[in-house]
Amino acid sequence: MAPITIDKVTKVYPNGFEAVHELELEVADGEFMVLVGPSGCGKTTALRMVAGLEDISGGTLRIGERVVNDVSSKDRDIAMVFQNYALYPHMTVAENIGFALKLRKLPKAEIKKKVEDAASILGLTEWLDRKPGQLSGGQRQRVAMGRAIVREPSVFLMDEPLSNLDAKLRVQMRAEVARIQRRLGVATLYVTHDQVEAMTMGDRVAVMRAGVLQQCDNPQVLYDHPSNLFVAGFMGSPAMNLFEASLGESASSALVGSQRVALPESLHTTRPALRSYANRPVILGIRPEDLLVEGDSIPTGSDYSPLEGDIELVEALGSELLVHFTTDAHRVEAEGAREADAEGLNAGSLTQGGEGVARVEPRAQLLAGRRVRFMLNPARLHFFDATNGKAITS
Amino acid sequence: MATLGVVPSVPATGGDAATPRPAGEHDVNRKRLARLGWSFSTPAFLVIGAFTIFPIGFSVAMSLSHVNVSGSGFSLNGFTGSNYSTLVHAPQWRYALGFTVVYTIVTVLVEVILGTCIALVLERLTKGRGLMMALLLVPWSMITVISAELWGYIYDASYGVLDQIFHAVGLGQPIFLGTPTPAIVAMMVADIWKTTPFVAIIVLAGLVMLPEELYEASEMDGASGWTTFWRVTFPLLRPTIALAVLFRVLQAFGLFDLPFVLTQGGPGYSTTSLAVLGYQVMFQDLNFGPGAAVATSTAVLVLIGCLLFLKVFRAQVGEEGS
Ligand SMILES: Nc1ncnc2c1ncn2[C@@H]1O[C@H](COP(=O)(O)OP(=O)(O)OP(=O)(O)O)[C@@H](O)[C@H]1O
Ligand SMILES: [Mg+2]
Repeated sequence: MAPITIDKVTKVYPNGFEAVHELELEVADGEFMVLVGPSGCGKTTALRMVAGLEDISGGTLRIGERVVNDVSSKDRDIAMVFQNYALYPHMTVAENIGFALKLRKLPKAEIKKKVEDAASILGLTEWLDRKPGQLSGGQRQRVAMGRAIVREPSVFLMDEPLSNLDAKLRVQMRAEVARIQRRLGVATLYVTHDQVEAMTMGDRVAVMRAGVLQQCDNPQVLYDHPSNLFVAGFMGSPAMNLFEASLGESASSALVGSQRVALPESLHTTRPALRSYANRPVILGIRPEDLLVEGDSIPTGSDYSPLEGDIELVEALGSELLVHFTTDAHRVEAEGAREADAEGLNAGSLTQGGEGVARVEPRAQLLAGRRVRFMLNPARLHFFDATNGKAITS
Repeated sequence: MATLGVVPSVPATGGDAATPRPAGEHDVNRKRLARLGWSFSTPAFLVIGAFTIFPIGFSVAMSLSHVNVSGSGFSLNGFTGSNYSTLVHAPQWRYALGFTVVYTIVTVLVEVILGTCIALVLERLTKGRGLMMALLLVPWSMITVISAELWGYIYDASYGVLDQIFHAVGLGQPIFLGTPTPAIVAMMVADIWKTTPFVAIIVLAGLVMLPEELYEASEMDGASGWTTFWRVTFPLLRPTIALAVLFRVLQAFGLFDLPFVLTQGGPGYSTTSLAVLGYQVMFQDLNFGPGAAVATSTAVLVLIGCLLFLKVFRAQVGEEGS
């Protein structure tokens, strides 16, 4: 068991393409780190560099205290679960799981015991004599896990191990993988492009975009305090509503389309930097669940501000409603947000143009065509610099 | 699955056994399709019947009869096993059988080992792979009689290149094709030169179908290159290699062109293969009955050999249950 230290690691492919740019990441001992980002952002490349399957073009990679840039993967003491499992088709489940142990020349009885232990953890006992070709996708996935865990490696790497499973099995295996990782306490780097997986499984989540790390923190912080527009748009489903806005004189209000949203003094005490954006354009971010409607509990004496819109469409999800509304404000489409939406389980990707989405409790009066009045908690608003997309936090 | 697939058993994606269709409306369709199929394949069956099945049948019949040749053609008189008993008691036939078997085993073995090595190298080549393959295929694409003539020049006792080389390095001037053992070895070398590329290409085709992740997984599991080859690559290549072996055994067992051109079966009858023997008995000695028996027994032997091979091989593949 050992921490992974990725220090300014860069990957330039032979064709000159820089897939990973100065990645800095530290996975502590026993930590479950999720690497998430849209397709092609360099997640697999980063993982393969840690695995030793891809040369490192710059920076240093440490596992424990040891610099492993030039150590071959078989000497890095790493186990990896491949996206398509890469099970040996000519070996039984037991042989697949025990292959690494056999190569280490462990006594037969010991191998057998370890394989059986792993199989019972993973519920594979009755399949031990089968070949991978005779197993279902979920079973193969577990064999791949088994092959990784019997080795008791210092580091686990997983590249979208759940992406080949159907939605239901994926939810089930999500918990399973997290449970096994916690039980073994091995530093784990887990790649996915599914932000729901990232939020639910990771101790910490690192968001990447086009080879560059955007933010790395625990999931709740990432969700509540995204450091830039990209992270704000990528994490959460439905995605955060982002509108162009401009702050008024001394930043005491924000003009969203033709509506003026008051920004009370309390907001400026927590985010003084907002003052310097007076009379300047910003991007206003509102999470769908932060758009409250009549009947939601709004503390008395609070300084909530209203925002009105016309209801376009109401999606009833049973436990909640997704209310699609339009305003005359200009909506900002954060890159990657659309994709994150589409991958999410409750894909609310019907949003278009100047629309916003609110997530509210089921309520009779919310019907398409009606006008709705949302209440906004100023403390839960997000502001981003309109030129560089950085969050205005301090 | 116990089928001999050309495709190596790489990860199967679930049960792909054809699901039975419900009977009924499909039956009508199927009958019509079957009729159509028959009408398309009839010409081919006729041609195959006339030029393949009939001659085979006729030569089997000849091998079991007293054959008389007269001005009006062949006449087969009465059933007899004497042609075969003649063979079994003839030292030439026994020698030819032994020679052909040894020749087949040695050449096929060397070709498969060499071919696999070449394929492994080719797979790693990133640049110039196409060019290398094209060059490799030159020997294979040459008509055997012509390549045999070329080797004839090389081995020639008076002006042969090889003779000159041996002489130049002080190894005397051996008579390659005039002494039994060197003649056999020389012939094997010519055969290996010509057909190794064929094996290499087949094995390469199997190699490129193995997913890259398997090698990576095996490296992560701690296997060296050598171990990976023996534990992962080779087992998965086995169906491909078996296919190459099958092709080659069938071909090598019918060895004819090389001895016919290089040595005419000599010196003595040291390079007389079964095919050459059959030719000699039938068309030089005009002993049609025994000649047909040589041909028929050769075909039966190679058939049995291949079936045995397939059976052993199938048992192995079957237990892999890909
Ligand atoms: N061998 C290569 N040569 C050149 N460019 C490559 C190579 N492999 C990957 N790339 C590029 O590097 C970028 C990152 O690829 P990578 O596979 O790491 O993406 P990813 O984040 O894993 O995406 P996905 O979620 O689709 O798997 C992509 O733009 C890809 O086109
Ligand atoms: Mg990937």
